[in-house]
Amino acid sequence: MAGNYRSVFDIIGPIMIGPSSSHTAGAVAIGKAGRTIFNGQPKRVVVHYYESFAQTHQGHGTDYAIAAGIMNFPADDDRVPIARQLAKEAGIDIRFVEEAGPSPIGHPNTAVLNLSDGQQQVEVAACSVGGGVIEVRQIKLYDLTIKPTGPLPIILYPVKTTDERREIKGLQLTEFLRMHAPFKQNVVVENQAWRIFEFDLINYLHAGTKKHLLGNYPGIICI
Amino acid sequence: MYERIEELVQDAEKSGKAISELVIEHEVQTSGMSREDVWNKMKHNLETMRAAVERGEKGVKSMTGLTGGQAVKIKAYREQGHTLSGDIMMQAVQNAVATNEVNAAMGVICATPTAGSSGTLPGVLFMLEKRLKMNEEQMVRFLFTAGGFGMIIANNAGIAGASGGCQAEVGSASGMGAAAAVEAAGGSPRQSATAMAFAISNLLGLVCDPIAGLVEVPCVNRNAVGSANALVAADMALAGCTSIIPPDEVISAMDKVGRNLPRELRETGLGGLAGTPTGQAIRMKIFGKEMD
Repeated sequence: MAGNYRSVFDIIGPIMIGPSSSHTAGAVAIGKAGRTIFNGQPKRVVVHYYESFAQTHQGHGTDYAIAAGIMNFPADDDRVPIARQLAKEAGIDIRFVEEAGPSPIGHPNTAVLNLSDGQQQVEVAACSVGGGVIEVRQIKLYDLTIKPTGPLPIILYPVKTTDERREIKGLQLTEFLRMHAPFKQNVVVENQAWRIFEFDLINYLHAGTKKHLLGNYPGIICI
Repeated sequence: MYERIEELVQDAEKSGKAISELVIEHEVQTSGMSREDVWNKMKHNLETMRAAVERGEKGVKSMTGLTGGQAVKIKAYREQGHTLSGDIMMQAVQNAVATNEVNAAMGVICATPTAGSSGTLPGVLFMLEKRLKMNEEQMVRFLFTAGGFGMIIANNAGIAGASGGCQAEVGSASGMGAAAAVEAAGGSPRQSATAMAFAISNLLGLVCDPIAGLVEVPCVNRNAVGSANALVAADMALAGCTSIIPPDEVISAMDKVGRNLPRELRETGLGGLAGTPTGQAIRMKIFGKEMD
C-alpha cells in the first residue's frame, strides 16, 4: 500500500479550477513544491514533461497550472488559467519541453523542474498520482541528490558543513520530529559544502508544528 | 489509517458508530485540526459542489465547444415527464453532467476523488437530498463516508486515469457514492462495503481515452453512468444482495486490471475513442498536430 492519501480531504477535494486533478491541481502542487524547494522566486524554470504529461499537457492546462504553483497560487485561484502571463510579467521565464523517453522516476504523470536564478540551481522530479496528490521522488539541491520515498510531506534541512553546530542541529530536529511529526524514513546526504537532513513524514504537518519548524530551524524546507 | 475495507466495517460494527463518524475521528486525530474545523472544511466542499451543479444546469460551454449544454437539455427533457429510467435517476444524471461540464469549462469544482470524476458523487448526493430529504448534516456525513472508502481505494489501487484508467476515476467515485448512499438510506456498514464492491465490479476495465487529451469527451457522460451505477449498486446492497468477491479483493482486482491496461488506454489520448478517426480529427483541429 502506497499510503499517499492521508486525509479525507485528499479524496473529497481539493476545490480547484478544472479540468484535471492530476494534470491541473496536481501540476499546481508540483510547481509549488518546486518553488518551496528553491526557497524563493526563480528567474528561469524549464519544465520537462514525460509520458501522459508530455502527451496531454496542452489539453489539461498543465502549463498554466505549473506556472500557478511557481507563482504560489492555490489550485482554486481565479488567476490559475492566466498564470503563464502573470509569471512572465513577474519576470519568470518558464519553458516547457515534451520528452519522448520514459519517466526517469517511473510514473506516467511526471514533470522534472529545473529552477534557477543565476546563482542557485535546483532540480525537482515529481509526479502527480491522482486527485491532486503528488509525490516528489528526486531532488537535486546544492549539487546533492536526494531520493525521498515520494509521498508528502517531506522535510529538508540544509546546514553548511562549516557550521560547527550541524550535528546538534540535526539531532535536535530529529528528536523534535520524532515527538511531534513521526517520519518513516530519514536520510542524511553531504558534500564538501552542505549537509542535508531529509525526512519522509507519516502524517500531514499540523499548522503549529510547521510554524515551530520554520521559526526555529532557519533554512528548513517543508514540502 | 484504515488500510482495508474489512477493518473499517469491523470497527464500525464493533463500536456501533457510523462510518462517517469513524472517518471524522480519524481526520481530527491525524490533522491536528478541531472537529469543528474538519466539519466546516467538508461543509465548504459541499457548498462548492452545490454551486457547480447550479452553474452547470444553467448552461456552460467549454473553450473547445466539445462539451456544455447537456445538463440544460436533460433538465428540459425531465420536465416533459417521460423519462425511461425515472425522474429521480435522470436528476442524478443531470447533476453529474452539470458538474463535469463546469469542470470542462475550467470552472470551480471539488475533485471527488478527481476532477475528471467530479460529477459522479454530486450526481448521487443532490438527488438523494431530495429523495431522502437529507439535511445539511446528513449531506456532510455522506461526503465523509464517501471519502473514507475513497482513501482505502486510493491507497490500494490508485485514482489516476493515467495509471489505472477511467475505472480508477469514475469507478472509484461510483464505489464511494454507492457506499455513502447506503449509509444515507440507513443501511449497515457491511451493506455500504457491498455496494462499493458492486459499483467498482461493474466498471472494471473502463478505459481512459479522452479525445485530444481533454477532460471532456467521454468524461462528462461517463460521470452520468458513474452516478446511475452507484444508485443501482446501493439499491442492490440494500435489497440484501451480497458480493461473492470481498470488497478488498475487488479493489485489488481494479489495481491489477489498471496495471494491465496498455498505455494507449491510460489517459494518453491515443487509444479508444481518442484514437478513432473523428477523435484524431478533433485533436488536429484543436492542437494542429497528430498523436505519435
